[in-house]
Amino acid sequence: MLELKRTLDAKGHGVLEMPSGTGKTISLLSLIVAYQKAYPLEVTKLIYCSRTVPEIEKVVEELRKLMEFYTKETGEKNNFLALALSSRKNLCIHPEVSSLRFGKEVDGKCHSLTASYIRAQHHSNPSQPVCRFYEEFDAVGRQVPIPSGIYNLDDLKDFGRKKGWCPYYLARYSILHANIVVYSYHYLLDPKIADLVSKELAKKSVVVFDEAHNIDNVCIDSMSVNITRRTLDRCQTNVDTLQNTIQRIKETDAAKLREEYRRLVEGLKEANVARETDIYLSNPVLPDEVLQEAIPGSIRTAEHFVGFLKRFLEYLKARLRIHHVVQESSPQFLKDIYEKVCIDRKPLRFCAERLRSLLRTLEIADIADFSPITLISHFATLVSTYSKGFTIIIEPFEDKTPTIANPVLHFSCMDPSIAIKPVFERFQSVVITSGTLSPLDIYPRILDFRPVTMASFTMTLARTCLCPLIVGRGNDQVAMSSKFETREDFAVIRNYGNLLLEMSAIVPDGIVAFFTSYVYMENIVASWYEQGILENIQRNKLIFIETPDAAETSMALEKYQEACENGRGAILLSVARGKVSEGIDFVHHFGRAVIMFGVPYVYTQSRILKARLEYLRDQFQIRENDFLTFDAMRHAAQCVGRAIRGKTDYGLMIFADKRYARADKRGKLPRWIQEHISDGSLNLTIDETVQLSKHFLRQMAQPFRRVRPAPFFTRFS
Amino acid sequence: MDEEPERAKRWEGGYERTWEVLKEDESGSLKATVEDILFQAKRKRVFESHGQVRLGMMRHLYVVIDSSRTMEDQDLKPNRLTSTLKLMEFFVEEYFDQNPISQIGIITTKNKRAEKLTDLAGNPKKHVAALKKAVGSTCLGEPSLYNALNIAMQTLKHMPGHTSREILIIFSSLTTCDPANIYELIKTLKELKIRVSVIGLSAEVRVCTILTRETGGSYNVILDESHFKELLMLHVKPPPASSSSECSLIRMGFPQHIIASVSDQDAKPSFSMSHLESVDEGPGLTLGGYYCPQCRAKYTELPVECKVCGLTLVSAPHLARSFHHLFPLDAFQESPLEEHTGDRFCQACQGELKDKSVFTCPACSSVFCTECDLFIHDTLHCCPACIHTQGAS
Repeated sequence: MLELKRTLDAKGHGVLEMPSGTGKTISLLSLIVAYQKAYPLEVTKLIYCSRTVPEIEKVVEELRKLMEFYTKETGEKNNFLALALSSRKNLCIHPEVSSLRFGKEVDGKCHSLTASYIRAQHHSNPSQPVCRFYEEFDAVGRQVPIPSGIYNLDDLKDFGRKKGWCPYYLARYSILHANIVVYSYHYLLDPKIADLVSKELAKKSVVVFDEAHNIDNVCIDSMSVNITRRTLDRCQTNVDTLQNTIQRIKETDAAKLREEYRRLVEGLKEANVARETDIYLSNPVLPDEVLQEAIPGSIRTAEHFVGFLKRFLEYLKARLRIHHVVQESSPQFLKDIYEKVCIDRKPLRFCAERLRSLLRTLEIADIADFSPITLISHFATLVSTYSKGFTIIIEPFEDKTPTIANPVLHFSCMDPSIAIKPVFERFQSVVITSGTLSPLDIYPRILDFRPVTMASFTMTLARTCLCPLIVGRGNDQVAMSSKFETREDFAVIRNYGNLLLEMSAIVPDGIVAFFTSYVYMENIVASWYEQGILENIQRNKLIFIETPDAAETSMALEKYQEACENGRGAILLSVARGKVSEGIDFVHHFGRAVIMFGVPYVYTQSRILKARLEYLRDQFQIRENDFLTFDAMRHAAQCVGRAIRGKTDYGLMIFADKRYARADKRGKLPRWIQEHISDGSLNLTIDETVQLSKHFLRQMAQPFRRVRPAPFFTRFS
Repeated sequence: MDEEPERAKRWEGGYERTWEVLKEDESGSLKATVEDILFQAKRKRVFESHGQVRLGMMRHLYVVIDSSRTMEDQDLKPNRLTSTLKLMEFFVEEYFDQNPISQIGIITTKNKRAEKLTDLAGNPKKHVAALKKAVGSTCLGEPSLYNALNIAMQTLKHMPGHTSREILIIFSSLTTCDPANIYELIKTLKELKIRVSVIGLSAEVRVCTILTRETGGSYNVILDESHFKELLMLHVKPPPASSSSECSLIRMGFPQHIIASVSDQDAKPSFSMSHLESVDEGPGLTLGGYYCPQCRAKYTELPVECKVCGLTLVSAPHLARSFHHLFPLDAFQESPLEEHTGDRFCQACQGELKDKSVFTCPACSSVFCTECDLFIHDTLHCCPACIHTQGAS
């Protein structure tokens, strides 16, 4: 609280690490809201960014409680407006559109009903279908602001239904004057969306990124483009469609194209008139001066632009027809493209904007089909805009299957600070928080900002409800490690198996075991099967396995929870960095123990990673090893942190690799885990582990009275 | 772990740091701490007075003993099964001592099945004998909570409403193998007002937590043997009866013990009714015994339910013994010895007060030593000094 207050006072940025389940959300909310109430002019808005829709809903519920408390204590009606914002898929109330299953379909359909030219057509031709909710909102919704209160997604929908207004656009409009906005952090980080949704948010806002341990990867992903041959093939059809449409329009309505041409000459700014609804396609972060300029003449007419796209496509296709790996920087790429097909840098920069304009002019309603060409145009714009921080890697095949040609062009962002920079510059306070942010100093470095406060908090516990144990050896004294040299070792695999077997006999209900990768998991499980270990484990608990297939995994997860609930007991074998390790909580009996087999290093042979490491070393003076360890440890912490979701919860955390005992690894774990690692819990053998775990589980099963109900943090010096 | 017999060796099992609790005093002697630990252990018994609540005095209790593979674990010495059965013998004795008009039955569960070791009966001897016999049995497979609960339920649901219906499960395994959804069964148990309590031997299992929470029982997990004993003893006391349970008057018979000597010519040896069913206990032909006042059936032991007319047969001391649960003796006030000013002798044993603290009866303010305090509360259930003064006046 103190740290947060300091951050707000200084109008700076902060990095706070707080263990999950200790009231992190409510602490943040209550202080910032109080601050807002006390200094309404200093802080006008709170933007709370979380990761998934359920998390957003949770935040809104906390906020509702807080506001109820305010009303109860002060007696006055609160005049706060807080709302959640999510995609159209979650907010649409149009009977036809909302029944669609995929987000993309919903967006496309919505667009086909609400785009400005459709609505214009509707005026002249009433049979053209439009969305009545949007029409209603557009007609009256803007004059009256939405009444103050707390709105989650369902509340918005109810309100929309009652008034007959489109909840999505209502929310989009209302965030401008809302006191608190809760949404996914893509709305702020992904330049393609941020530009539209979050553009007009006031500078005097406080931005909170919750669960932000992966924020650098989100930034990078939002700026990276992968192009495969399939994308290019689909682009080809897109271009053909474009050409046909232009041909047709030219015959029927040549004036329209001329009109567009005129607009382009005047500059892009002008083109933003009916922008609000036509946001489906938008450009990546463009420097302001680009928007001021006019579209260069070479791509101004529609035919020329299509020709230009064709050339660009052909060039990319040629580039993908290779047999060896190529890695080059953006300037190199630009030079090459200029030499080969005479495409200049400047028109490339305008590619995305030009395509957007063209699609609008051609009145192509179903935009979902045009995602490949949009992707290509984004790539073109990005590659020509940024000369630093990006790299282009063309791989002719995947490393695992060197015989099958599957060329991919990775346009990879290596500098997460590019995406997040506007956020830091724009808003007065940005708070990054998560349960696992250690070591804290690395985030400011890779995101390139200067925080006012950095603090790691630990839990004040009524009892030691977490028990981290580092298992380094088997009963036969053979060291356990997932190190590359020893990972195929028979003894290591057997010891891992014995560890799981022994734990399955003493831990009640659910155990979650994390492996470093799918491949490694498959290997180990296969060899456990041969050794008969799997069979023995199955006498104690059922085994479920996470697979890359989402549907299969959620099925396994469901059954796993059922088995835990029924007292059958289950083990979930999953993968660090997988879906399970990131989003799913294993409260109470669903995860009494988490076993981390090995250190979850990233696949270091990947060229993208290598390029990024090199970049980090050159630009930020972060050594490769430091970053790799940091990355591995934050994932390990994230995995084991799944089990403890609050004070009444308890769980074992077993790190099964002797390397965890080393100071450089151990020191990178979050404080709240670190402080429970004593010398007695380092480098244990399996039977010592069993003994300690048994004792711990018995201790924890003793009746527990809640001592202190309020959330409370202590500063760890 | 039956495929790893070599683990059974004492020195290969896990080591316990029993020495860590001991601390030397300044002179390097361990005596002080040892005494302290002993003293603490003595005083551990919690006095939980319920005040004036209705207690279910007539109890029907099924004890389910897990006999699965995990019972061979050696964290209790010599192993869980032996240790549990030993404690159970003690428990049965204690149970009948404190609840003379109650009944108990034992169920074991192993290898996904459950079977009755003894039926609900009010005679400790039979249970103890069965428990003694069970020591040698092998532990295998997994337990089945569902089957065990189901067997117990089948009998308990026919018990009259004024008696308590209880199940106590001693659960060593962490898994259960059930033929059907156990949550349905829990619902049924709740409807039948059967109270299920669980003592876990290894760790907290979710399904047990729910089971006990739903049915209003208690759930505890043991720390070590002495804690295990303590938890078991908590179940000796009758539980508070739920307010919805019906009250009824019960017919009871107080048979007189007729002693006939062998020399008496008129006496004819006769069979005890309770021995009719059990074949292995010898002829059962005896001379004297208790005769049911209603039908004259003979029994050698009380309390018992008459096999012929169904009358509950008890003796007056039995009823008297369960009386103290209703009016428990108040806990004595503990005060350190230095502050004590009166005479330095315990009112009960007349020994010198040597322990760190003394105990004063709130009613008659007599002083007792630790040993006597425990004896009074655990066995006598009334203050000897108070009775003495009452008798004198």
